[in-house]
Amino acid sequence: MQEYVLICEDSTEGILSGVYEAYQFKKKREIDSHDCIHLSTEEPDIQRLFTEYYHVQTDRENARKVTDTIAAQLGDETWYTLSMAMVSCLGEKADAVYHTIVLGLKTHDRHIMDRLQENCVQCVFKCARASGNELCHLKQFLRFSELQNGILYARIDAKHHVLPFLMPHFADRLPADNFVIYDEGTRTFGLHARYKKWYLMQGADFDEDKLVYSGVEKAYQELFRCFCDSIAIEARINPKLQMNMLPLRFRPNMVEFQ
Amino acid sequence: MDDIVQNLGVITERTGMNAAKDGDICSNKQSGIELRTTSVQTIMEKLSILTDAAKYDVACTSSGVDRKGNGRDMGNCVAAGICHSFAADGRCISLLKILMSNECVYDCKYCVNRRSNDVPRATFTPDEICELTMNFYRRNYIEGLFLSSGIINNPSYTMELIYQTLYKLRNVYRFRGYVHVKGIPGADPALIQQTGYLTDRMSVNLELPTAAGLEKLAPNKHRKTILAPMRQIQNGIAQGKQELALYQSAPSFVPAGQSTQMIIGATPESDYQIMSVAEGLYDKFGMKRVFYSAYVGVNEDKALPSVRTASPLLREHRLYQADWLLRFYQFRVEELLNEKHQNFNVLLDPKCDWALQHLEQFPVEINRADYQMLLRVPGIGVKSAQRICKARKSGALDFDSLKKIGVVLKRALYFITCNGRMMYNTKVEEDYITRNLLAEHEKLPFDKDGMTYRQLSLFDDAQENADLFSKIS
Repeated sequence: MQEYVLICEDSTEGILSGVYEAYQFKKKREIDSHDCIHLSTEEPDIQRLFTEYYHVQTDRENARKVTDTIAAQLGDETWYTLSMAMVSCLGEKADAVYHTIVLGLKTHDRHIMDRLQENCVQCVFKCARASGNELCHLKQFLRFSELQNGILYARIDAKHHVLPFLMPHFADRLPADNFVIYDEGTRTFGLHARYKKWYLMQGADFDEDKLVYSGVEKAYQELFRCFCDSIAIEARINPKLQMNMLPLRFRPNMVEFQ
Repeated sequence: MDDIVQNLGVITERTGMNAAKDGDICSNKQSGIELRTTSVQTIMEKLSILTDAAKYDVACTSSGVDRKGNGRDMGNCVAAGICHSFAADGRCISLLKILMSNECVYDCKYCVNRRSNDVPRATFTPDEICELTMNFYRRNYIEGLFLSSGIINNPSYTMELIYQTLYKLRNVYRFRGYVHVKGIPGADPALIQQTGYLTDRMSVNLELPTAAGLEKLAPNKHRKTILAPMRQIQNGIAQGKQELALYQSAPSFVPAGQSTQMIIGATPESDYQIMSVAEGLYDKFGMKRVFYSAYVGVNEDKALPSVRTASPLLREHRLYQADWLLRFYQFRVEELLNEKHQNFNVLLDPKCDWALQHLEQFPVEINRADYQMLLRVPGIGVKSAQRICKARKSGALDFDSLKKIGVVLKRALYFITCNGRMMYNTKVEEDYITRNLLAEHEKLPFDKDGMTYRQLSLFDDAQENADLFSKIS
């Protein structure tokens, strides 16, 4: 059977443009089923036989149309899960999101995410859970430090691109603060100015060594380290449990482990 | 003198102050904390002493209340709570857990802060607590404040200090994050009422499971004075809910509910007694949580187990597992334990143990069994049970999808069928299943560090404990 693979950009807009193009493609080429069409965010290592490859250009307008359709027909909750899946770093996400949307629109089921028997839904569930877990971890383990001018600065190293979901949490929590979260992985800045809306910024040059921290910053870091040391009960010391709860990969950015 | 100045180095330099004189109070304009008080204790020393004194308190959750930011002041609350770090003992650090003061007029035998102990003492001022909370919170170190205290002068005086601190934190510093305070038994009810409007969670410690134990180990505390504020808080919460229904702007009273804790292993109660007390607290006092704290020997005392006795961690673990069964799995204590069978199985978790005693109810058919029954299957948790119920609406489930849903099949497979078939050809027979479940090695949070359950079993055996106590007394 002839198969078609559409390759799209690895971003939420990219995947949604891919979904739009896939529908267009099916109509134009009069293909019987969506099952023959696949979406991918990566170039194939080895091209398969009987498969045609196409590239999809990211188009914000098309992406918006798909977003509106999903929100209207499948509900906000489904949209949230799908968007969490789209920011994960797992390779199969684009195809799974595409086929889940197809299935949801075909069955008019707002609870499409409950159908865990379906492979595509299972896969979206897995991707969304992976990035959801990372989001939780970062809400827990992100650490701000205060710069000389009162701005709070935090560096994270996220596997999944969850910064857009992290910003509202801190914007709600610290409305009166200017803060910056820098994601090393995607080289993205999340910026929030006091009492204003937050936004993301990409492609800026930045040298962390040039940051000047405020005078009291060091004192508070010391105080917190002291607190973390004193709070542990000697008779229950258990590094294994600590490691389970707080994976090592977060520790380089946390003051109590520096 | 020099080391003090050095301690302050950064700050004195920046605020342009000259070296502090002995007994002076250097206040830092930006941080607002008095970095050196008349008692020649730095804020660091105080924090260290008062954290050390608070660490045996178990409750460190920040859950139970969902409060969005108001767009102006700092802080919000998330219903599920957030743990910000984990200490070397693997316990979560969610709140800044400190005592207001570790000065105490009481002499509870098990407590490190009892008045007959010679330990360094310290007391925070309300401003110090507020500044620490605000600055830690801003840096995302903590989710809020947990404030307890030793008894200074008398219970009412102590409660008033706590109230003043909270008042300042909420109204002067305008903090909207999570606050958990201890209700001090014996304090003026009016003070407890007022504090309740400022805090998210309030807890009164039950200390020990039975009145007899309390009398023996905490001569200054009485069961009656402990239960009175619990009841008051419970009534306050109920009344507050009613008021909120009538007037939306009514201040909320202890919105995250109340909790309590008791020490396990310092007195010879059985698991059955302890769980019955816990069930009573959930049913009759509307507790959100009951915490169990494995006794850690800090004081040499003839009324207590030896300081070298290992902490009954496995027993604590089993009690928490059973507690979960009560709260989320719709179990009752009588189903798990009874007069004849007073203690939990050391080798199996309470749910597996129950299932093995009730094999006549198994296997259950995943595609048809009701939610309550699914919850009772070992290897199926609350989330998996909910997912199963939702998913099967649109089609039958097989073992492969169960695995993806999150069911622990290696435990569940003996108890379930999918579309009428079991996963493997297994016998539904107690010995056979027990053997297989034991071969799986239960994941315990503390087994890898030399503290295996075999070593602990001696201290987990309540009968053994009772013998031990009869020898002591």
